[in-house]
Amino acid sequence: MNSTPLLDAVAVLQEFYSTESAAVRQAFEDSHNGQAAIRARSDLLDTIIRQIWGSTLGESPGLEGVCVAALGGYGRRALFPCSDVDLLFLCEGTPSKHAQRGIRRLSQTLWDLHLRVSPTTRSLADCSRLHHDNVEFNISLLDCRYVSGDAELFEQLHGKALPGMVAREARELLQRLTDLTRARHNKYGNTIFHLEPNLKDSPGGMRDYHLAGWLTTIARLEQNGTWPALDSLFPDTLHASSRAAVDFLSAVRCFLHYHQGRDLNALTYDLQSEAAGRGIGISAAPVSPAEWMRAYFRHVRSIHRLTGLLDEISAKRSGLYRIIQNRKSRLSNADFSVVQGRVFLRQSSSVADPEMLLSLFEFVARHGVKLSADAERYVEVVLPVIQRDLPARPDLWAHLRRILVLPHAGAALRAMHRLGLLVVLFKEFQAIDSLVIRDYYHRYTVDEHSFVTIERLHALSVPDSDLHRRFQDILLGIERPELLFLALLFHDVGKGMPGASHVEGSLEALQGVCGRLRLEPDDCELVRFLIASHLRMSATTQQRDIFDPETVHHFAESVGTVERLKMLTLLTYADVSAVNPQALTPWKAEMLWRLFAAAENYLNRSVDDERLPAGGADNALERILRDAPRGLDEEDFRLFLEGFPRRYLLTHSGSVVLTHYEMWRALSEDDVQVRVESGDPYYELTLMTRDRPRLFATLAGVLSAWRMDILKAEAFSNRAGVVLDTIRFSDRFHTLALNPSEMRRLQRNIEDVVAGELDVRKLVDEKTGGAPLRSQLAVKPDVRFHNDCSSHSTLLEIIAKDRPGLLYDISTAVAELGCNIEVALIDTQGQTALDVFYLSCEGEKLGPELQGELQDAILDRL
Amino acid sequence: MTKVEAVIQTSKLEAVKIALHDIGVEGMTVLEARGHGRQKGHTEFYRGREYTVDLLPKIKLEMVLADDMVERTVDAIMGAARTGQIGDGKIFLSRVDEAIRIRNQERGIAAL
Repeated sequence: MNSTPLLDAVAVLQEFYSTESAAVRQAFEDSHNGQAAIRARSDLLDTIIRQIWGSTLGESPGLEGVCVAALGGYGRRALFPCSDVDLLFLCEGTPSKHAQRGIRRLSQTLWDLHLRVSPTTRSLADCSRLHHDNVEFNISLLDCRYVSGDAELFEQLHGKALPGMVAREARELLQRLTDLTRARHNKYGNTIFHLEPNLKDSPGGMRDYHLAGWLTTIARLEQNGTWPALDSLFPDTLHASSRAAVDFLSAVRCFLHYHQGRDLNALTYDLQSEAAGRGIGISAAPVSPAEWMRAYFRHVRSIHRLTGLLDEISAKRSGLYRIIQNRKSRLSNADFSVVQGRVFLRQSSSVADPEMLLSLFEFVARHGVKLSADAERYVEVVLPVIQRDLPARPDLWAHLRRILVLPHAGAALRAMHRLGLLVVLFKEFQAIDSLVIRDYYHRYTVDEHSFVTIERLHALSVPDSDLHRRFQDILLGIERPELLFLALLFHDVGKGMPGASHVEGSLEALQGVCGRLRLEPDDCELVRFLIASHLRMSATTQQRDIFDPETVHHFAESVGTVERLKMLTLLTYADVSAVNPQALTPWKAEMLWRLFAAAENYLNRSVDDERLPAGGADNALERILRDAPRGLDEEDFRLFLEGFPRRYLLTHSGSVVLTHYEMWRALSEDDVQVRVESGDPYYELTLMTRDRPRLFATLAGVLSAWRMDILKAEAFSNRAGVVLDTIRFSDRFHTLALNPSEMRRLQRNIEDVVAGELDVRKLVDEKTGGAPLRSQLAVKPDVRFHNDCSSHSTLLEIIAKDRPGLLYDISTAVAELGCNIEVALIDTQGQTALDVFYLSCEGEKLGPELQGELQDAILDRL
Repeated sequence: MTKVEAVIQTSKLEAVKIALHDIGVEGMTVLEARGHGRQKGHTEFYRGREYTVDLLPKIKLEMVLADDMVERTVDAIMGAARTGQIGDGKIFLSRVDEAIRIRNQERGIAAL
């Protein structure tokens, strides 16, 4: 063979390829149209290959039975600038020596053009069977496309052999795709959120888009043996968004390849800036890198949704689809079926009912199951129809609060957001949709961060270290967790609003949210406090010496109450740990917990000394006076409050304080004022009367006699010597619920005992009984005194295993030794009783001998 | 070249960073650490349990400098970190034989 014409031909081809490639690149630089560029490159390779094959065929007979087909990206007509050119040389049987020479010549020529060729030579029979050790080859055939050579042979492959193979081996193909995808996603942490994502392989990247296409192709071929049209690969609701996403990713990948001259797909920090500066993939003028990455994450989220097809098609294929009809899945109910961890609607139109729609997400939050692609589609279809009235629903908070406290709330909220429901309910949330905080510290977009904070708190239900267990203990003691989760959901929405401080923006957004949810003013105030203060604890631990009592004092004063302190601590824990997986180091968590413990100790141990002064100014008092009804005798009201611990005003709402004031005024007619009110699921007892010996023990005794569980209690007295005891208790045996008249009888018992007309000891002896609560938990009792927490009383702290009658036993021991209870703070956490008393004896602190006697007496009873 | 290691109170980190920046020291490594010197820590009680705080949280700064920068750096750290109380921390100096920049293999002072 004369080599000179051959070399000339190659030179001509090189010239042609260089010129055309440069034109394609220039067109891309001008338009940033990635799809056009990759199609143009595919067409260019087609021309070149046909040219070479044609001349090879002319010069080397024996190639008639060979077909050249494109595979992979080239097969999809999506050949990126530096991607491999995957070629299939298809033969009838074993290729002849002529055929082999021709194949080598084509490959060599392409290599001479500096193209990276990945050739494979196979027979039709090879392509018709499943290669168990190389299923990836079978998958690659799903993208095959005729380029040159024996067209009839290609038709045999495409029209008969492949459909047959897929029909036989669909299960294996799907399984292999599932395994490959799971492995790839695991490698990238099963998250789309990476600071420097891989455009091709990261979850939500190009590979997931290809996966979705393969899944649909396999399903269609198996079903009816036909190849799906390209524009019918995905469901309608996903088609537009995934199309836009692929356009974006294609443009970016072309940019990466041209910029680096290699098939490198990592979107590094610098390249993000470069792409943003050139406006790659977006139609507007150049934008900031943060805005550009926001567009990236929005598109990637669309692609990531397509991977849901994997589970859905697997479920349908395996015959488990039938289970939808016969409710065998243990989680399924009348409205929803669960198949392989995906929720299907028994009736697709049911989500047009807003009640059912919200119940669907409550179901997800409860069970941690994902929505099926079908269910998601139905939600997306009905949302535009019902969205106008949704935010105004009076039961919105009832639904949302249930979702927030369920174990998988994060997943449910994420799904609501992905489908657009969250923004319909709370337009404020749009501000942080895919918002990027672009630094090496914040891993997640702001909306995702909010969901992760909620997940981090729920994850405390399974603590994996002693330190996490301490935070779990705090969480178990929260009275209103739904308010904490609500604060977490909205604490950063201000980051998407203009203004120097995102906290101000978040607070502004909260106004609208509280109004729509119709929150009680006190609840809204608590959420407001949490959002306003959500950076305070971090700042204190980082910038102040938390072992300095002044620091603790100042911080505790700024928080005000133990309940707020607990919630703020947990909010801080969640906020920091959701910045990135390593943000909350054990060191930082320890600092946070120490500040919490010190502040809680301070708040509990400063109660006695911090009293409301006569006529003095106090923010909490001013707040109550501002909202008080007209005609209130302010001077008399101040007299009532004088001497109460300041904590009283911080832990009771204005309306409750005013109710207590009314009780105080009624003392002139009846010197024992008792109210018992039914809450849900607790009861609240309020007693107001003149102080007298053994009063607290008496009250505890009555409740013990009635077999009520005391959960929380506070006992305060004012300067006038009037005692206010508030006790929250639960009715273990449902006595009051089942016998409404018993509530009045309980109240009368209390009045009679307090008035001295009934002997509490006799009552206790008569009525106490019933099976004791059985518990495996061992709690080591601890009784400890502190003489430095108050100027005039001794602090007594008791930790013990909770049981019926415990408070009666403790307070009786205190009374029998002649001690007076100045303040009592009673709390229960699970099966542990946490009791704090400020005691005095004859107006003085307890001396060491009396402390010793009291300690022995209490430990005896525990 | 000299390595400067400084163990300081956590609350002094920002002030020390600013002081170092002002004298032209940009590169440093910051580590979360725990420790105690003579202060030894204390015992705290919370909810009936005793928590011994004997290893207090600290911040450790490390930087390698040209010898002519060392004195100014030490003065800057001392000025920013000092409160006069026990627990202020310590500074350690040690010789460094070589420094190499990974990106471009520069060595010696040029790598700092």
